[in-house]
Amino acid sequence: MSATITEPAVDVVCLGVGYMSGVVAAELTKAGYTVVGITKGPYWDYVNDFSMTKYDEWGVGLGRKYDSPLPLQSTTIRNNSSQFALPVRRYTMPIQYHALGHGVGGAAQHYGGGMGRYGPWAYQMKFLTDGRYGSGFLGNINPQDDTHDWPLTYLEYEPYYKEWEKAHGICGDYNGSPTNLSSDTNNPWMSANYPLPPHPTTPVGTLFQSTVQGMGYHPFPTVSALASQAYTNQYGVTVNPCVYDGYCGGPCDYACETGAKANAAYRTIPYALNTGKFTLVTNAYVFRLTYNSTTHQITDCHYYDGHGNVHVQPINPTGVFFNGMWGYNMIRLMLLSGVGNPYVYNSSTGMGTGTVGRGLTNGYTPNKGTSVSGTLSIGANGYPAGNGAGGGYSMFDLMDDNFDHTNLNFIGGTLVSAGGYQGSGPGNITFAGGVGSSAMGGPFKATQKDKYLLTKVSVGTTPFTPDLPTYMNYIDLDPHYTDAYGDPISRITHDWTPNVYNGAAYLVNQCKPILTQMGATNISVGSAVAPYSYHTDWWGHHLRGGLRVGTDPNAGTATAWAALSGYNQLYFTSNTTGLNYFAAGEITNTTGNNATAGTHAAGPQSYRAAEGIVKYLQNATTSNVNYLA
Amino acid sequence: MPALVIPDKSKHLNIPLIESRVPKPEELVVISQPVLNATIRIGEALKDCPEKWAIGGDAGEILAGVNVHPDHFTILTTTAGSEEVSKRLKTFQIEGPKIVERQLGRNAEIGLTPYPVSVKSFASQFRVDGERVDVHGDLQIKVGDWDWGDPLDFEPEYVYVVSVKVPVVPLELKSELYMGLGWTDRVKKINQAMARRHHKIV
Repeated sequence: MSATITEPAVDVVCLGVGYMSGVVAAELTKAGYTVVGITKGPYWDYVNDFSMTKYDEWGVGLGRKYDSPLPLQSTTIRNNSSQFALPVRRYTMPIQYHALGHGVGGAAQHYGGGMGRYGPWAYQMKFLTDGRYGSGFLGNINPQDDTHDWPLTYLEYEPYYKEWEKAHGICGDYNGSPTNLSSDTNNPWMSANYPLPPHPTTPVGTLFQSTVQGMGYHPFPTVSALASQAYTNQYGVTVNPCVYDGYCGGPCDYACETGAKANAAYRTIPYALNTGKFTLVTNAYVFRLTYNSTTHQITDCHYYDGHGNVHVQPINPTGVFFNGMWGYNMIRLMLLSGVGNPYVYNSSTGMGTGTVGRGLTNGYTPNKGTSVSGTLSIGANGYPAGNGAGGGYSMFDLMDDNFDHTNLNFIGGTLVSAGGYQGSGPGNITFAGGVGSSAMGGPFKATQKDKYLLTKVSVGTTPFTPDLPTYMNYIDLDPHYTDAYGDPISRITHDWTPNVYNGAAYLVNQCKPILTQMGATNISVGSAVAPYSYHTDWWGHHLRGGLRVGTDPNAGTATAWAALSGYNQLYFTSNTTGLNYFAAGEITNTTGNNATAGTHAAGPQSYRAAEGIVKYLQNATTSNVNYLA
Repeated sequence: MPALVIPDKSKHLNIPLIESRVPKPEELVVISQPVLNATIRIGEALKDCPEKWAIGGDAGEILAGVNVHPDHFTILTTTAGSEEVSKRLKTFQIEGPKIVERQLGRNAEIGLTPYPVSVKSFASQFRVDGERVDVHGDLQIKVGDWDWGDPLDFEPEYVYVVSVKVPVVPLELKSELYMGLGWTDRVKKINQAMARRHHKIV
């Protein structure tokens, strides 16, 4: 059959229906526009889909029944441009254990709920580093450095953070700033506290708080995206509180059966649907945008429905596309469609040209990081709740540039946290890390016996300093492997940058005194890991970059409004010469904040993008209007 | 880089398809903006109120996740609380507090016999951001010719609304009241909300 089904045109089409598209769908329908959201997976109802079946550890944790099908969403991986990249063909433990999004809510159906703001330094990493340590510093510590600053400062993003936190019911109690003044550049100042109070603190969390406070640090309750209380957000969407069943962490970050775990499906999409102006298309796989290179307009997108039929989704003549797909899917779609200027790396010069795919970083602790750990004998709370972000305390004092990096071989720092809930339900059963001979039979049983009634608990940290952008880490289309429909899949070229390992080697020794002061025994500091001695060997939902926001269209890809750039006039002209394509969710620079805080940093961009789209739609029919001013 | 050729032929894949149903707007528990704004206004005005109070009625239920659509607010409190609320919401007041007795629009359905339901309270009325707000101090209920019940007492549950913490009448109590009145449709709605909250039935 060759029939192509053309759908009715709308004002805005959201590609992918995860966190970012949820915000855009809510904001645009609130403004009165018609929106279609297209996502490749199903709509998950947390009661019907998760309340019983999520306890299937084998099916969820190993069979990956809630995850994105690899025939649709895989990638190839290599560490440098001279290697042949091989595809990810199956979810394996422990390397590919991070669930990717499939369906409404996206990857946020499957995370631990860690949240938190980026600090002011993160947004001006290059500017501030050059200013304090000299313009050659970044180049010295990061070969082929390609660091750029975000287009806006933290203070400019702050109002969007606030909207994001209200929408998703984030729990916490400020960020440790002693003054909470906007002039505090070490901590993310907040114009309003988090909308929900933090989760109850564990004994380890309390101990960590009092210890580091006594050492002059500034702890604050670890920020969580799992509703600690019943909540109603600014869209009027009601949210159930966490029931602490312990099944939201673990090897697959199990989905939530009460909707307490924040994601678009249970925070923003219900509002959009309730307006009657939002159409949700599920099990629909977008494979192409139709791009007019003369007008720089995208006129429609093509997708396969669940039965393989081809649909065309057009927009109104003055409409907009918003790409809210996850990471490399977003980039891949642009490359497949000829949208934007693809990044091409030149290994002989160590530089590259183009922007789409450029600046890939990994926002997660390397598998082989340097750690410090110890044991506390405090009869610790072994309550098997999930949401490891809850119950603990964190501090920014060893983050960003909050300590002097003179004569150090890295930049940035790490968020230090302790006291998160022990449990993670199925995570108590050690299968995420594989089962070795010492963890089978009797030794395994002995290990598991006291999981729920702990008398001792391990504490420690694997510091994670930012994986800095370089010219040699990027995403492009793989020339050999395709998806099930025959389109090239994305190819990741990435290896950990030295900053990650050098920072960890230094910071473990800063964290060791904390464990000593807490009364930990058996404290051990792992050996320093030499840069490039371990390599990236996994994919995951913490890959960042590749479609950065920035002020330099030759280096970044999207403008401060998250509209596609690459042409200077895009900043200043109406749609007669501009592009009607917006995207959010990409991270210009990562930091040492926890992994999903990257989502949190992308969240404000989605509000910014929504604001930009409204401005665009209001002015799109008017010539020569600076609609993004 | 030019775009790749756009396929126009269908292609069925042999991979598992998780069928799903997108909920209809009326199935979603979403509070209207006027009710939301009024809730925040009331919550801020009654913050740290020393007297016991809670949002009841349909507004209290939807804040607790029940799929109802309130057309006004009900605040349950004590007689002293009614006076305190009047002071704090004075600028919104339409009628000052006084003893009011009235019959509800819906009968109790006990067995096959309908019985009129009357309520008596130290009541006052307000209009906050366009929304009608009824305040009832020491509300009593009477069914048919039975005696008046004791003033309704409760331990409120709390819901955070954007950034305001507001007390609501517990769903367990509402369910018990509705069950006593034979309003099983309302009990069912509460049960559905409770099932979504705690995956349990009350």
